[in-house]
Amino acid sequence: MPFWRMRSLRPACRMMSKFLGLDQFEADAVSGYRLLPFRFTSLDAREYVLTNSAGQVALLDRETLDRFARHQLSPSTEAYKTLKARHFLLDSDSEVALDLLALKVRTRFARLAEFTSLHMFVVSLRCEHSCPYCQVSRQSDDRTAFDMTPATADKALVMVFRSPSPAIKIEFQGGEPMLNFELVRYIVRQAEAINETERRDLQFVIATNLAMVTDEILEFCKEHEILISTSLDGPEDLHNKNRPRPGRNSYEKAVEGIQRVRDRLGRDRVSALMTTTQASLTRGREIIDEYLRLGFDGIFLRPLSPYGFAIKTKAYAAYDIDEWLDFYFDGLSYILELNRSGVSFTEHYAAVILGKMLTPFGTGYVDLRSPAGIGIAAIVYNYDGDIYASDESRMLAEMGDKTFRLGNVHEKLWEEIMTSDALLQPLEESITESAPMCSECAFEPFCGADPVFHHATQGSFLGHKPTSAFCRRNMAIFRHLITLMRDDESARSIFLRWANA
Amino acid sequence: MTTAIKLGGSNVELVGLDETREPFITLLSDSAQLPAPLRGTRSYLVHEAPMPEGFGLYVLLDRDRSLLQSLPPDSNAVLIPDDYEYLADGDIVRVVPNRHSIRALYRKRSRHNAILVTERCNHYCLMCSQPPRDIDDSWIVSETLEAIPLMDRETEALTITGGEPTLLGDDLLRILRACKSWLPNTSMHILSNGRRFADAAFAARYAAIDHPDLMVGIPIYSDLSTLHDYVVQSDGAFDETIRGILNLKRHGQQVEVRVVIHKQTYARLPQLAEFLARNLLFVDHVALMGLEITGFTRINLDDLWIDPYDYQPQLRVAVELLSAYRMNVSIYNHQLCVLHPSLARFARKSISDWKNEYMPECEGCLKRDECGGFFSSAKLRYSDHIRPFSAAASQS
Amino acid sequence: MAGGDLCASRLVRLSAELFNLETIKKAAYRFTDRAAFDFSLDGDIIACEVRFNTPLPSTQADEIERAFRNEVLDQDLRRVIGEETAGVRNAILAHAFSATGLQNDE
Repeated sequence: MPFWRMRSLRPACRMMSKFLGLDQFEADAVSGYRLLPFRFTSLDAREYVLTNSAGQVALLDRETLDRFARHQLSPSTEAYKTLKARHFLLDSDSEVALDLLALKVRTRFARLAEFTSLHMFVVSLRCEHSCPYCQVSRQSDDRTAFDMTPATADKALVMVFRSPSPAIKIEFQGGEPMLNFELVRYIVRQAEAINETERRDLQFVIATNLAMVTDEILEFCKEHEILISTSLDGPEDLHNKNRPRPGRNSYEKAVEGIQRVRDRLGRDRVSALMTTTQASLTRGREIIDEYLRLGFDGIFLRPLSPYGFAIKTKAYAAYDIDEWLDFYFDGLSYILELNRSGVSFTEHYAAVILGKMLTPFGTGYVDLRSPAGIGIAAIVYNYDGDIYASDESRMLAEMGDKTFRLGNVHEKLWEEIMTSDALLQPLEESITESAPMCSECAFEPFCGADPVFHHATQGSFLGHKPTSAFCRRNMAIFRHLITLMRDDESARSIFLRWANA
Repeated sequence: MTTAIKLGGSNVELVGLDETREPFITLLSDSAQLPAPLRGTRSYLVHEAPMPEGFGLYVLLDRDRSLLQSLPPDSNAVLIPDDYEYLADGDIVRVVPNRHSIRALYRKRSRHNAILVTERCNHYCLMCSQPPRDIDDSWIVSETLEAIPLMDRETEALTITGGEPTLLGDDLLRILRACKSWLPNTSMHILSNGRRFADAAFAARYAAIDHPDLMVGIPIYSDLSTLHDYVVQSDGAFDETIRGILNLKRHGQQVEVRVVIHKQTYARLPQLAEFLARNLLFVDHVALMGLEITGFTRINLDDLWIDPYDYQPQLRVAVELLSAYRMNVSIYNHQLCVLHPSLARFARKSISDWKNEYMPECEGCLKRDECGGFFSSAKLRYSDHIRPFSAAASQS
Repeated sequence: MAGGDLCASRLVRLSAELFNLETIKKAAYRFTDRAAFDFSLDGDIIACEVRFNTPLPSTQADEIERAFRNEVLDQDLRRVIGEETAGVRNAILAHAFSATGLQNDE
């Protein structure tokens, strides 16, 4: 029979019988399921959070969790379907979950291979502000004592480019970097010259109070596409109280500086960071309003810094966190209201966490990484050539504790620095995957190790999580965000956008 | 074009052409100035007398029957129904003399050229618009390889479809290589269930073609393997399809995920969106498609039909999620009046020109041109919520 | 126990047949912000003396005891899950970090 005549001559009813029903495809699952690795922690009085190896979340009440873990959950339940689709269980019907989980885990840790991407250069300790919460700066005109030299900068730059990271961000800090702007210029030019052959994605940021910015400086920043990061603690009275300077006009100078940077460099070329003090805790909404008013599209509601406090009073108790948490949750609530009314405004700490909760990617944010971000994600080259594992490590050193000093650029090679015990020991001891409480915590994929904080406040790299302020704060935030997403569609929608920004 | 066109059929009269002659394909020309050496292998579209001599075949429409007497002596000709008046210069047709049939394989002016490379398939989807036939149609491979060099170099896009094209194995790769050589500027799209690419060696050979603009469109119907396997009627399909996608991506190949929305798939559309965002974030495009009431869909209509208006809530959640994750999303085969307004920006005019039509309810609609309209098969069943956009009710 | 409404400690008795000491210690660890623990074995009972950091009203002491007991159950469940999934967890990690399998097969 010619091919073109071979159409089906079977009547419709026989065709219908050729289609198998859904039940025939579900038959495999009835024979039982295997558990895939997961952790669980209570969310609130009624539900538990479960997370799989990739940080995906499922919420179950205790009874369902029990049935699930004991292989008694029926395939016809919504819970089963959710757990299967989100890779908490494996049944004989499908095994590709293993390939996908492996891929997701790999994606989560991919950033490790990139290694140190944030390199902070403390170009001078000199500063004309005298902020009480600052641990490091000096009121001095003595440039030789407190400024980084080109020779030190050269050695540091060699180390910068030893890192294999495809993206390198050089951040100028201090003191006040603009007091040694000649060196900033020098480093930028040298780095760019080296990058002619290195071909990394090279970015520069200056952390500055903007009080002494000049047109000349701005011109240089524009030419080299340097980003500005400045301090804005809140409304004028709060900001000035926190940040005294001659003339008592830190706020005015900051606002003026922000405007000048925007005019000259572009709208999005300046960002602001707040430092939270006791005085901030009752004024969250005002602080957010200030950021809004000044045209910022987000804020980082930072925790209270323990460093000065801890050393001075030998205490930084977990229960001090509660007042801060009220401040944070109220601020977040206000920000969500803003978003619902059509204003696009992000809380950056939540955004980092949400990125970890909702996407397969890890984070570049140094303080929420395990292994910790010290040294292997970010590193500090001090004015005198000393190398510190993080900015907080440098602060600790200023207060007499040099635990996290890794060496000096004039004395050691990069390999010696990166394999030193001073770096490896805190990394190993603090890793959350194997830490008591952390290793079984459902929130572990969202959290991080912070050996510097735990050393400073509790005396060990690992810390004691039941009494750790870091743990208490973060767990409260994780619970809060998950609860919001569970109970509030609009919050979930907003958070999805933050996570993917 | 707003009327569906007839692509193939019988009722072809042969003039001077032997009925026993093997089926053949031919490139159509309307150029009376075509250089003589090129005429022998082409067919001339006759619209008036006198006609240039030397063409391999002359093609006349029924209404121009009177021109038969003006044919050059000893020429071969076919007289075809007026339905084929759309045929134009640069088109390629297949003529089957002993069946008196003609079929348009390729139309130069169309934006939706598709080559069906086999009717065989290893799936049996409940809503298959091209029901499989288990026959030896390997002759299509050689015909395709013959047709590709005849296609216009400026062809924007070409779809390889079936059945399941990867059942051709390395013959599919031969076809793709031919497209790369003869149609280097043409965007290639393959519709496949992707399972063959779970074979790492095959995926590697496919990638080695190194085509500059090639994408595979692969359906995933649910986040649940059981439901997906049910829709495609093949146990183990879900796993193999995903493995295929992973292999393709390992080799840096472009992948599109396609989802046909119907009664079996609409309810878990949000969960499927979440699954794609968490597991297959790297796919290049997600196409969410309306049901075509043809092929197996008609047989399974009770299990498949749902008014698209009724699944807008699930569609919204799914699209918002995929879009929040910055995935490229398109909605195909949905009318603008049926879609939630927030989804209009994702809608594409996707219905092939030879399948598309409008309904009586569309009369006077201001968005008619933007809207893709309907499959002609939709006459059998379409949404109860079709209404024209008017100036008064106009939405931004 | 102290007189009046305040408790300085609680004795929590748990079955050594149902729970192993590791499980109980892990549960106890979480409460070391509020109490110190002493364990002793009494036949087939593990006796946990929960000594509160500061004496508590009995309602609060009840709450901690309740939470501790629930945590013991949770830890036990974690043990069961951990044992069952250890193998596949290692397989996933090995697959995730392997040089082959997730990169181009040559």
